[in-house]
Formats: sequence, C-alpha cells, structure tokens
Amino acid sequence: MSRKANPDLTFAAGLQGGILSHYAKTILSALLVLVLVSVPAWAGLGQPEASVTSDQLHMKSEHRVQDFQAYKVHELANTEGAVVREFVSPEGTVFGITWHGRSTPDMNQLLGNYVNNFETATRDQTHIVPRRGITIKTNDFVYTNFCRMGVCTGSAYAPKLLPSNVTVEVMR
Amino acid sequence: MKRQFSCAATAAPFLLGVMILVGVVGCGGSNSSAAKTTVVSNTATLTASSGPNGLAGGIVNGLYVTVTVCQHGTTTCITINNVQVDTGSVGLRLVQGTLGSVTLTPINVNNSPLEECRQYGDTSYSWGPLEFADVQIGGETASNIPVQLLGQVSAPAPSNCLTMPVNSNLPGTPPGNEDTVASLGSNGLLGIGGLIFDCGNDCTTVSFTSGYPYYICPNGTCQAVGVATADQAVNPVSQFTGSDNNGVMITLPSVPSSGAVSVSGTMNFGIATRSDNVLGNATIYALDPCQFFPTVTFSGISYTDTFCNGTGSGLGGFLDTGSNAFYISDANTLKSSGIAGISDCASSTSGSGFYCVTGGMTTLSPVNFVGFGGVGSANISLNINDATTLFSTNNAVFNDLGSDSVFPNGNSSTDFWDLGLPFFLGRTVFVGIAGTAMPAGVNAPNGFVAF
Repeated sequence: MSRKANPDLTFAAGLQGGILSHYAKTILSALLVLVLVSVPAWAGLGQPEASVTSDQLHMKSEHRVQDFQAYKVHELANTEGAVVREFVSPEGTVFGITWHGRSTPDMNQLLGNYVNNFETATRDQTHIVPRRGITIKTNDFVYTNFCRMGVCTGSAYAPKLLPSNVTVEVMR
Repeated sequence: MKRQFSCAATAAPFLLGVMILVGVVGCGGSNSSAAKTTVVSNTATLTASSGPNGLAGGIVNGLYVTVTVCQHGTTTCITINNVQVDTGSVGLRLVQGTLGSVTLTPINVNNSPLEECRQYGDTSYSWGPLEFADVQIGGETASNIPVQLLGQVSAPAPSNCLTMPVNSNLPGTPPGNEDTVASLGSNGLLGIGGLIFDCGNDCTTVSFTSGYPYYICPNGTCQAVGVATADQAVNPVSQFTGSDNNGVMITLPSVPSSGAVSVSGTMNFGIATRSDNVLGNATIYALDPCQFFPTVTFSGISYTDTFCNGTGSGLGGFLDTGSNAFYISDANTLKSSGIAGISDCASSTSGSGFYCVTGGMTTLSPVNFVGFGGVGSANISLNINDATTLFSTNNAVFNDLGSDSVFPNGNSSTDFWDLGLPFFLGRTVFVGIAGTAMPAGVNAPNGFVAF
C-alpha cells in the first residue's frame, strides 16, 4: 500500500523567501518600538495603531505598511503562510482586519475587546455554514470566516470606527 | 486496471467477509485455466437528506453513506450508517459511541495516544484520538488506516488548535465539540477530498503552531507532536486495496425546483479503473495546488484564487459535497451583474443566511469555470430559488439553495464560487485524488474534478 507524501501542501509559498534576515531586523525594530512606545495590553481591532506591534510579535511576522489617502494598511506575514492586514484610520485606530492562511489566526489576540462581541452574539446575529464558515453581524461588530481543506480566509471590522470616506470594500 | 484478485489476495481472512463473491472458483490444487474471478463491488449507496437528526436538527442537503469499521485483521466489525460524505475534508472521523463494543488499535507516540484537533471555519471542532482500523465502504477495503474517534479524549482541546473562540450558538453540549450525533449532524465524516493526507509533510514535524492538528496529552497536558504520514488522518479511498483508489464518481438524481425529502444515489470508487467508472464525455478540470479552480467568471467579473500564489485572499471556485448550498459571489455583486431579484433573506425569516429571490427562481448563466493551467473550461448554469419559499416545504434536498460566499459585504476580489451539494444533484461528478494514479491522459498533478 503506497502512502505517498503529497508535495502540494505548501501554501502561499511566495511569502516564504528571505525571511530570516528580515525577521531578525523586524524583531530588533519591534523591540525598539517597545522601548519607545507604551504598547497597550490589548491588541487588534479597536486598538491604537501601535498595538499592531504586539500582533506582529505574537505572529512572529514581517511587517509592511501601505499608506492610502484615507487609511493605512499594516500587513503582517509570517513563515507559516499566515497573512493579517490591519486597517488603520487617520485617527490612528484599527477599524478592520482581514486574514488568510492555513488556519484562522489567533482571534483572542486580533479581536481586542471585540472578542466579547464575538462570544456574546445571539443566534439571530450569527449565521453558521456547518463546519465551513461563520458570520456574526451586530451594530458594533461584523465578522466572517471560511475554511476548507487547510485554507482559511476572513475579516472583522467595527462599523462605527470606519472612517466616513472609507467603504468596507477596501478591506481585502 | 485490475478487476480480478488472485487467490493469494483473497486469502486474507478479513477480506473474505466483505467481498461480493462472483463466480468464485476454488483455489485448491487445480491447474484449470478457468477464470478465478472474485470481483469486489466498487459501489456504495448514497442518501441525500437532513440526516439522522431530521429537519429539526437544522441540516439540509446532507449526503450520507454507510461505512463498516473492523478491528484490524478480524471479523469484529460494526456497520455505521449516516456517515456524511465530504469532498471538502480528508479522513474518516466517527462519533465514538457509534462503534458500540468494537475496539480499535490505538496509535501511540512517546507512549501516549495520538490525538487530533481540527477547528472548522464555523469554530466547531473535531477532537479525539486516531486509531487503526479496517474500513469497508461498498465492497472496498482500506486495511489498517487511522480513523479519528470523536469524543474519546483525555484533555481539553489545545489552545493552539482552537484559534477562534467557540461560538455559543453551535449545537452540542458544550457547543462546538462535534463529539455527538446531535452536534455533528451525522454519525461521522467521510472526508474524501482530493488529497491523500489531511496534513501531510507539514505535520511530520511541528512546522507551524497556529491551528496545528496533532498532539499527545501525557498527564492531561497536551503538546504538539510531529507524526509520520502513515499515522495521519487519511483519505480512505486512497488506501483501498486494489486499484479503485484514485478517486470517486458520485451520481445523484435531480430534484424538482421545490426540493425533495430525500434522494438516493451512488458512489463508485476508482476513476477509469473499471467499466462502471469511466470518464466518458465528462470534462476534466485540473485543480490548482490549493485544490481550487483558479478562475471563475460570471457577467464579466473574474473570481480568482489569489490565495494560492500569495497575492490575496480570493479562492476562485470549488466543488464540495460538505457545503449545503451554492455559496457563490455576494448579493450586491450579483445584483449589479444583472440578477435583479436576488437579496439576502431578512434575518427574521426562515431563509436567514441564504439568498431570497423576488419573483421566484432565477438562473445564473453562463458561469465559466477554468481549470489549472487551462486544463478544462466550460460554461455552466445555476438556479437560485427563494430560500424562505424552499424552507416552507418539508423538503431537505434542494438543487437551487444559495447564499453569499462572503457574507455580508462581500466583494468580487474576496468572493468565491463554492458549488455545494446542490451542484451534484442531477449530475455525475468525479473527484480525483492528487498523488494517486491518474487516469490515462489526465494532466492534473494537484488532482482534478470532472463532470
């Protein structure tokens, strides 16, 4: 009976090149930020922009920032193929997060205080696709996640924190 | 292609009990040149329905099969019906109580039982040990393969595995642990997606942490462990003795647009290994390395798998008996694509979470699916009906139930086309397993689907 190993299980292979030196630099710069800025205990959704550093350390990821006119995107990508994008308002608050990878990243870390909204959503506010996905929609918090065969994607945002000239469609 | 078993092959006692014997000729002594044909049935009966919990359990469009599990090398077996057929996962996972008094062979790592934890996209999870068993489906046998026993655990599921808080609205007590028939909605899961192993080389060492599946829990404290592929959850079809192990052929009848209570179909094992599983005039679509159609196009909008090449979170398209509806595009995008009557059903209605359609059923056509490397391309047509109308019947099998792929606020760069069980009704669909012997002429290193 042959049990051949499957060679095709490498996800997001394009993210994995040249990580080590970047990684070392990232850790150093992250530590520097830690010294200079008081990082809040909570990280992620609804938290100040500086909290992204805490998520970066948690994910052991590279960190890239893109500036758009009405918002900023912090992209965290690690060697495990996980990618998290945090969307930051001009006021410096994380208003949305997207992710993709072989599993869903640590939501206890990334949802900040909104993890309470995740846990207290009622049946009417929750739509479950058996074993594949879940959507939670409340006035303050919108969350969706979908997984299949070792591939997960999702997003979470706080509608009330969305900058007035930004639509949710920017969160990709 | 091998349809006959030699006497040596049939000598294994545990096989004798399960084969359908056709014209068996004795093996003793004779030099007769007469054919010694012992043909294994490669066909299992499928049922599409609401499953063992009935409509009250809240499940529609489930697909189920009967599986027999035996203590390895013995005739100590139990037959388990209502095991859900899932082409979107890999591995056989059974609710522990369904085994009755049959005990299996534990797999030990460092003298502790090997446990697996899988959190699904809806935050529910499978958690329990892997043990070796002989598994029979139809007349086919996979000898001594790892099977997960849901609910037989020595410790809480590890936090590295449960990366999302478990949603309190899931069925089960406590919610989310799919270790009972009530919470799982079936007696087990038969994961026959297009891969051999559920993790493969990524888990022979602990190569990642977030969502890692394999653990041992000595003294009630769990730690991640690397596991040889031979001890990992495995696609049972890929391990069938003989040659019917390169995929499946699923045939289900069509249903009226208002649905049916249940329907019966067949699953033939092997693709192009016998006269009853030939590809015929089916179109073959190669899948990309992440098991997706790289591109689906509808009304001038392309839905592309950007996940697999690391450039985004788009998933393209896929076929999945474990998805209970068409999870396709999103209501706003479809509306702007000319499907005027479509919307998300109001949350106060029975159709909540699915598409509603003003004026009844609407048709999406043409939807273009293109395979990996351009292998396979076709235009198909999908019907979407009003979910509140469908759910006002007592039916549980619908070929026109739909929903958003990303809900709410999807957009075409993250939306995808999940052709769930409705797609399989009225069709014959082949699912080829990557890394097995491909049918002649099929160029699909990552596996394929055909229909």
